[in-house]
Amino acid sequence: MVLEDRGGDGFEPKILIFACNWCSYAGADLAGVSRLQMPPNSRVIRVMCSARVRPEFVITALSQGLDGVLILGCHPGDCHYSEGNYLTRRRGLFLKNLLEYMGIEPERFQVRWVSASEGAKFADIVEEVTGQLKGLCPNRPPGHSE
Amino acid sequence: MPKTRVGVFVCHCGNNIAGVVRVPEVVEYARGLPNVVHVEDNLYACSEEGLSAIKEQIAEQNLNRVVVASCTPRTHEPLFKAACEEAGLNKYLFEFVNIREHCSWIHMHDPARATEKAKELVKMGVAKACYLEPQEELESEVFPAALVIGGGVAGMTAALNLGRQGIQVHLVEREQELGGLVRNVRTLFPTEQDTEELLEPLVEQLKSHPQITTYLGGEVENVDGFIGDFDVTIATDRQTKELKVGTVIVATGAHELKPTGFYGYSRLPNVVTQLEFEERFKQEGADIPRNVVMINCVGARIPERTYCGRFCCTTAIKNAIWLKEQDPEANVYVLQRDVMAYGVDIEKFYRRSMELGVRFVRYDIENPPQIMGEERAEAVKAYHQLMGREVVLPADLVVLTTPLVPREDNERLSKMLKVPLGSEGFFLEAHVKLRPIEFATDGVYVCGSARYPSNIPESVSQAYAAAAKAAIPIRDGLVRVQAITAFCDEGTCTACGNCVQVCPFGAIELQEGRFGTTARVNVAQCKGCGCCVAACPSGALQQRGFDDRQLFSMICALAEEMTSGFGG
Amino acid sequence: MEDRLRDIVKKLLAEGGMEYLIGYCQGAEPLHVVPCFVIRQDDVEKLIWGPLCLQNLSKYVLQARELEGKVGLLVKGCDARAVVELLKQNQIERDKIVVVGVPCQGQVVPAKLEEVLGVPMEEVDGVEDIGEAFLVTIGEERREIPKEQVLREKCFYCKHPTSFEYDFTLGEMVPFSIDADKGEFALVEELEQLPLEERRAFWQKQFERCIRCNACREVCYACYCKECMFDKKMPRWLSKTPFLSDNQLYHLIRAFHLAGRCIDCGECERVCPMRIPLSRLYKKVQKDVAELFGYEAGIELDEVPPLVTFELEDQDPFM
Repeated sequence: MVLEDRGGDGFEPKILIFACNWCSYAGADLAGVSRLQMPPNSRVIRVMCSARVRPEFVITALSQGLDGVLILGCHPGDCHYSEGNYLTRRRGLFLKNLLEYMGIEPERFQVRWVSASEGAKFADIVEEVTGQLKGLCPNRPPGHSE
Repeated sequence: MPKTRVGVFVCHCGNNIAGVVRVPEVVEYARGLPNVVHVEDNLYACSEEGLSAIKEQIAEQNLNRVVVASCTPRTHEPLFKAACEEAGLNKYLFEFVNIREHCSWIHMHDPARATEKAKELVKMGVAKACYLEPQEELESEVFPAALVIGGGVAGMTAALNLGRQGIQVHLVEREQELGGLVRNVRTLFPTEQDTEELLEPLVEQLKSHPQITTYLGGEVENVDGFIGDFDVTIATDRQTKELKVGTVIVATGAHELKPTGFYGYSRLPNVVTQLEFEERFKQEGADIPRNVVMINCVGARIPERTYCGRFCCTTAIKNAIWLKEQDPEANVYVLQRDVMAYGVDIEKFYRRSMELGVRFVRYDIENPPQIMGEERAEAVKAYHQLMGREVVLPADLVVLTTPLVPREDNERLSKMLKVPLGSEGFFLEAHVKLRPIEFATDGVYVCGSARYPSNIPESVSQAYAAAAKAAIPIRDGLVRVQAITAFCDEGTCTACGNCVQVCPFGAIELQEGRFGTTARVNVAQCKGCGCCVAACPSGALQQRGFDDRQLFSMICALAEEMTSGFGG
Repeated sequence: MEDRLRDIVKKLLAEGGMEYLIGYCQGAEPLHVVPCFVIRQDDVEKLIWGPLCLQNLSKYVLQARELEGKVGLLVKGCDARAVVELLKQNQIERDKIVVVGVPCQGQVVPAKLEEVLGVPMEEVDGVEDIGEAFLVTIGEERREIPKEQVLREKCFYCKHPTSFEYDFTLGEMVPFSIDADKGEFALVEELEQLPLEERRAFWQKQFERCIRCNACREVCYACYCKECMFDKKMPRWLSKTPFLSDNQLYHLIRAFHLAGRCIDCGECERVCPMRIPLSRLYKKVQKDVAELFGYEAGIELDEVPPLVTFELEDQDPFM
């Protein structure tokens, strides 16, 4: 895995990832156990289910200047709590459209499904999203000092 | 209100963390975080020494919050929580920060930025810890019975072990006979005994055991509930039975890959799998073929299925030896891509086969053997790697050695039990090294080839382990429900009903109370998912251990230095 | 219609079951309509009805939950959607309210009327709905103004709840239809088609002007939380100062909370002192809720709100 922009000049986006305990967090762990290397731009917050993530968290994070927010959940049908990720899916879909309507780049908020065995997929997602966000301007909060 | 006093313990994990993350820097950084009164590092926080250090500091420094920065909470969280409890600190005042699986192990080439990340993760963990509150766990009774799904060697062994402990067992087997995969095998390695000699006594003991009820020709149709209280529906062709159990063991095994499309299998009549070989030839009066060519690693260790079947080589060797013993003049070739003959017994067996005249020819995945013949296989053409040329081996019989593959039913079962499958379709254990026969879901265990291809001794050991684990909650009689349940601040609740709609477990109801009609969570039914919290527009519903303040504080901690995005 | 209204209210007050009725009456100036609470028989004469009765009165019923008796409410068909939603959201019992439906055939936007007439509202004496047009009285002069010239935006696609039973109606409750060739979501689509940066610039320009007076929240029927999230201190989602980032957060989150609840009453935009075009935001919310989840708020009494349920076949662009 090639790491670009190691330190120094060049903008490094900061990405917040919400990962659910049963699937995506475990998948992230598996990526670690497998020593899959990826850019160090993301920070994971563990929740029990992706459905715990309320849109206010996403909007707050973006308004405070974080460059991107990811919600990772179990594949639809596999939610440990049967239905949580179906709710995440609906909320995510609606929020995504709303954010884009307000002029926020679609790459900044994403929902992905990562199962406990998909360590490689987790690594790929981190790599991909980091690359996407690097290509955008830094998400500085408007109205604060430039 | 006592002032918040946070203790931070940063683990080196030998070299696993410290080899990448500059632990002293993280320690220094943590000292400056708000409410942190003590920081130390330790070579292995989970060791006796490390845990003692934590307990000591809780007492000496009057810590009322503990943050450990080390591996993943999915392994050692219970250990650290127990240490806190022993030191007199409520175990819900503990927060785990993952700087190994999520940091040092995945940013090995960038120690500087891995260190920065570790600092931020600790900052987030401390921020959350400051908002943690002590919690009491609810105790719920464990129904004193177990369900074993699968009546093969693993399932029967597990059931017997549980039964012998005085625990009631329900064993469900899909076929009309017990025995599983081993029924298709005739003789066993390395003892070369008939499988009947192993199976019969096992089946006898099982059938006559007073604690064990066996459902032959049965399927598990539905499982609801949670550890201590599973509601199970079993369907046989005669009846449907509903029963309660406290724990569940998955022992559904696997089945031999039938390699349609490989080497003329299912087209040519004399190309068979190892198990088919056993069935056809290891019986009275069967004609032993003179020229047998076995091809190993068929459908295994290929791009579509990368794993090794583990004991299929053993099976091939066993059958090769058997052939030679039946007819010392037989020509037996085994075409292989590495022979998996681990340990003492199998290696001895391997040598014996060579002494008997079995020839092992190495082939390459780039140059697979070819079957020659139109209506029947007549010969096998192979590129002999060591000799560096092609050889043509006459064949009356071609035996393909294939791995075990997961059952198609695994997906249905995995959803029912809420346990994951791995990338190959076998059941995925909680942790490959530390929790090999459990799932992250409490109360469900796995043994045998359901998890990955296992031979009989391995399946039996795993079954003993699964039975032991499955017995623990039943012996205890009680399980503690994790106090990460939801609760409603009735003064704020407007009874809009969103939470009631959203809860997957029906654990919330609108009830009359001090503040009129408000939502109330039934803690015994709440599974701690948090769906309701996110659906509550006024923030009245919150989840213990994952409430809005705690998660919000983590976001703010992360974004705090971000007046500009540059710098990373 | 006003006579029929007054008769019904007089009767209801006399019977004693209803404590008061919430309706419209004249404000400080002619044609300035305000809500009024009619408690006594002699107040009934104050009640009026006309194309300038713009307010959605539904939210006021929430104040009456503590009362012994019932409360009466005068609603236009569009505003009755709020009543349907309040019932769905357990905020009021059906037998606590007496709902009087008034058939409305279009409402007038005063600012548009002023523009068309060329005179300020103070000089206008009367506006009457004569079916095909509005009849405006200015002193001795009477002018007929075609409805579409001064019509309130939401009237172009008038919607009524379908499974709601009014206690009384002042006529047949039929949606107003006008063939104006106006797409319901035209303003939204206009913005959607702009490049992202222009959209962002548009909204930033709007939200820079927000003074966080919270009028939009106060007037919205759906904002009935005892303690609004934005007033909480733990966590403090928003500061009180009108930074642009906080303003955007406020409006974005409120829009999300209104998903599946916004009934397009238009009050938020009407009351905004800074004239922020909130309808452009809330029509988008309604559009997505309709397109993504096939749901419209306030139309059916027994439909489940979209964000607290799901379908197995929901769109899934996420993979």
